[in-house]
Amino acid sequence: MKAILNTGRTVPQGEAVEHKASPTYRAVVSVCYMNPVDLMELGITEGAHVAVTSRTGRIVLTTWTSEGVSRGEIFVPLGPYANHIIAPETHATGMPDFKGETVDIVPTDEPVKDVGSLMEEIGGLRYDH
Amino acid sequence: MIIKDVVCPFCGCLCDDLDVEVEGQKVIKVQNGCALAEAKFTGSGRLPAPIRRTPTGWDDVSYDDAIRETAEILVAADRPLLYGWSSTHGDAQSMGVHIAELIGGVIDNTSTVCHGPSILAIQEVGHPGCTLGQVKNRADVIVYWGCNPTEAHPRHMSRYTTFATGFFVPEAQKDRTVIVVDTRRTESAEIADEFIRIERGGDYEVLSALRAIVRGKGNVVPKMVAGVSREQLFRVAEICKKAKFGAIFFGLGLTMSAGKYKNVRNAIELTDELNRHTKFTISPLRGHGNVYGSNEVFTWITGYPYAVDFSRGIAFYNPGETTAVDILRRGECDAALIVASDPGAHFPHAAAAHLAKIPTVLIDPHMTATTPLCRIQIPCTIAGIDAEGTAYRMDGVPIRYRKVITSSYPDDADILKKIHDRIREVQGS
Amino acid sequence: MTELLVKNACVIDPLNGILLETMDIPVRDGKIVSSVSSAADVIDARGCLTLPGGIDSHSHVCGTKVNFGRYMSPEDMRAGRTARRGKMHVTSGYYVPTTFGNSYRYSTMGYTTVLEGAMAPLEARHTHEEFTATPHQDMLANTLFDGNWAIMESVRERDFKKTAAIVAWTLAAVKGYSIKLTNPGGTEAWGWGDDLSSIHDPVPNFNVTPAEIIAAMIEANELLGLPHSVHLHCNNLGKPGNYRTTLETFDLVPDKNNARQTLYATHVQFHAYGGTTWRDINSKAEEITRSVNAKPQIVMDMGQIMFGRTMTMTADGPMEFNLYCLHHNKWSNHDVELETGSGIIPVLYSKKSLVNCVMWAIGLELALLTKDPYQCLLATDNPNGAPFVKYPEIIGLLMSRRYRDEEFATLHEGTGQRTAIASIDREMDWNEIAVMTRAGQAKALGMAAQGKGHLGEGAEADIAIYPIRCHAVDPATEYRKVVEGFQKTMFTIKRGRVVARDGEVIVEGANSTFWVNPSVPEDLSVRNDPEFVRKFREYYTVRMDNYPVQDVYLPRGKCIRTEGAL
Repeated sequence: MKAILNTGRTVPQGEAVEHKASPTYRAVVSVCYMNPVDLMELGITEGAHVAVTSRTGRIVLTTWTSEGVSRGEIFVPLGPYANHIIAPETHATGMPDFKGETVDIVPTDEPVKDVGSLMEEIGGLRYDH
Repeated sequence: MIIKDVVCPFCGCLCDDLDVEVEGQKVIKVQNGCALAEAKFTGSGRLPAPIRRTPTGWDDVSYDDAIRETAEILVAADRPLLYGWSSTHGDAQSMGVHIAELIGGVIDNTSTVCHGPSILAIQEVGHPGCTLGQVKNRADVIVYWGCNPTEAHPRHMSRYTTFATGFFVPEAQKDRTVIVVDTRRTESAEIADEFIRIERGGDYEVLSALRAIVRGKGNVVPKMVAGVSREQLFRVAEICKKAKFGAIFFGLGLTMSAGKYKNVRNAIELTDELNRHTKFTISPLRGHGNVYGSNEVFTWITGYPYAVDFSRGIAFYNPGETTAVDILRRGECDAALIVASDPGAHFPHAAAAHLAKIPTVLIDPHMTATTPLCRIQIPCTIAGIDAEGTAYRMDGVPIRYRKVITSSYPDDADILKKIHDRIREVQGS
Repeated sequence: MTELLVKNACVIDPLNGILLETMDIPVRDGKIVSSVSSAADVIDARGCLTLPGGIDSHSHVCGTKVNFGRYMSPEDMRAGRTARRGKMHVTSGYYVPTTFGNSYRYSTMGYTTVLEGAMAPLEARHTHEEFTATPHQDMLANTLFDGNWAIMESVRERDFKKTAAIVAWTLAAVKGYSIKLTNPGGTEAWGWGDDLSSIHDPVPNFNVTPAEIIAAMIEANELLGLPHSVHLHCNNLGKPGNYRTTLETFDLVPDKNNARQTLYATHVQFHAYGGTTWRDINSKAEEITRSVNAKPQIVMDMGQIMFGRTMTMTADGPMEFNLYCLHHNKWSNHDVELETGSGIIPVLYSKKSLVNCVMWAIGLELALLTKDPYQCLLATDNPNGAPFVKYPEIIGLLMSRRYRDEEFATLHEGTGQRTAIASIDREMDWNEIAVMTRAGQAKALGMAAQGKGHLGEGAEADIAIYPIRCHAVDPATEYRKVVEGFQKTMFTIKRGRVVARDGEVIVEGANSTFWVNPSVPEDLSVRNDPEFVRKFREYYTVRMDNYPVQDVYLPRGKCIRTEGAL
């Protein structure tokens, strides 16, 4: 299913923002908020995983129902998950398209990765203290 | 011990009425603050000591070694990028600019991925704004456009707008009309007297329609504009024109959507237009506690609020070219100093990946998503918790962060000063 | 101990009655003394013009609205850029330069003290941060009270002591120097998008008039014994016909102080317009100066405009909105809760505009028609009338009728009918220029007692040596030499240290900020007034304990404690 990706702040994201390696942070920013009708159309229920693919990347997220999200849109809290698939072009403004990226969504059984794994995918090395 | 009137450093509201209870060197309770404030003050997860990446893992290093190596990295770089600066205080920001000046680097702050486009719009058409107390005491019409204060600035409504009583607005909720404009029906929208739901990407059109109506050219407005009915647009325009004092607050819904700074420009010009009928102001809801301070400090030292490039000796500014995401995206910088921000989490990974390819130094109290990408991380105090200093509220009001506990961490301004002095030594200047 | 001897200086020191006397100036530890040892460093002034350091008594260089002027103007930042060099940081900007840009340019012009024209108390911390980054001038802050709710309430109650107590608490809290009123009452009306059109209009919801505010603040100022007088930006700035308001305002002012004026009226050029619209605007400088010549209690500054691009910035929010409606340029506005307003808009003063030509003429007429130069000081309301780097040209115009005539010939042809500038013969002399750029300012600001604006024993050793040989130059004909001479000092000395030489700043600055802490009896202190404290808590968005500017913001602060008559 095609959808428009919207990103933004949430309170749980803000509460956990200084604990990026924590399971809580992972849990609250790896969420894909969707309109319940869209969820139905994909044939899955809240809590199921989806793979979201953009022109730049692919990420697995946990779905969450939100009446407030329009059909044809998904909302992902700002953070490393959303940014894994957002393109870096800024159209000469300095600002990437954090709201408005077109993505493709399919249900999946794959697990949601942790932040460390995402960072290692782009050349980093996790720090386990 | 309870410390009164503490300033919360989390978001641009900089609420300064928190009561913070401290036991020893730990915050145990926060009163008056929102959930974000409580998490900020009672948080843990701080990096205990400087670390350096090795081919296989991480070693502890001393502050002296970490500082020396950072200076060497920066001096050796041809095109260093210095990025971040919003979650710290003015002294650190100021020192950052002077380092950039010294090494001919590019310095950018987090407004680049936040309200940078708002700044571009303001540079085109100006900014009719005011301090938040002006809104609190006078505004009978409040507009939230493309923002969700309930989640991002949880006390904005209770301290300054919807639920705040003011001198000329003694009964907040009864006396104020609240309009929310968004593509999502957010919690903020639930509170609104009037919710305008627009189709994604429709902000520019809806703003244009409102400008036309306010200007008396409503006959050009079609039945539906980006999902909004003509009737609703006329009704809202009338509410705004009849206001005694109207205040628009806008967020990243305008700056990050298609059109970006042009959306903001249109919103400002709508405000200008409304001022021909009544009093209207517009203000960006700034995110990080002291992001506006980074704009202020950069501006009085360099002339520009962000994206400043010193490679030519003079200060050069060209957002889209000298902005952090673009420099990383092009793989242009050959070293990076990241201070008080987390591009690993908040930049597109296709851009942030470049940080792992070059020597990147991170000065930050916490383990963040940038930690795995850096070569060295130096932990420091948290401005507003174990360090004091100046912060600028989203409306430009400067407030002094208090220090509520004492820690053994060095202040980031002091770390930066040492790096600065070391660079001068190496340069022989 | 550091010692310096400035030899062969051709000194003008109006406050000490010295006029073009060649002499030596001994300096020890930053102060002028009677003699120094033979070990002193020596500077040879080679008979060149030597003056006390310049003082700008009204300039916008630091704080919220100045920085917003920079923030919104990348086009101006590009207009003046220098790279880091020696001890000098990068600078940007022409009419709203960066703080270091302002500081270096003032310093190389021989200016060592500057009064920031408008500081909103709530945003004072910002002004002080920029003061620290303007390191080569001692700084003072005019503190805005024009729309202050507590002040207006006390004025309504006719409680001058309370008015004074509020002023005292605020000045001490925000580390301000003096009382500034900008369009008194009008900035509060602008909170609703309105303005006042006369000094007898009541302020909406507060039931006081500008005339009452001005009169009460004069009382309070003198009750507190402040070094400076009330510093007023009159109502109706920039409106044709506004000279009546200005004259009416001047008539309100009693003569209450022997040492200085009772009212400082700033940028009076903008307040001296006749006519009824922009079409028939004309100069009323003659009427204004007639009033000032008869009133020793008034000192004004010119508010001269010079042709070219610049930025207007003022606490006068409604005036800036009117300008926006006129020019459709980018417009910024920033109202400050319970206190004041502000606005910013870029402008171009053009010789093709008759209105601009009339404005240019009025400023010069004010200076030339004021008999006593102590009563009309040289300033452009930087950057409103022009950036301060234009001061040398203004000096040239004041000293040379030929220069004025040559300029006049290039103006809009209608200028002559609207102004009297072409018929004024007066050419100012060196002494008068020295008065208008330092001695007059020091006296008006009450800073002579702090050792500013003169070179007598005990004065601060702030000295400017210009490459001008007064006896060998005829300013009337060789005005170019005068203009060039005042653009760059040979030496600028600040507190006994050479800070600039031949246009280059050569050391890192170490300025001071002067502020005033008036003494108030405990029972009058507003801190102990439960009503004041309650209103503060309920209506400000900053807690009273977080409002005062901490000492850390004034690393070299100099507190002037005043004992008034409260």
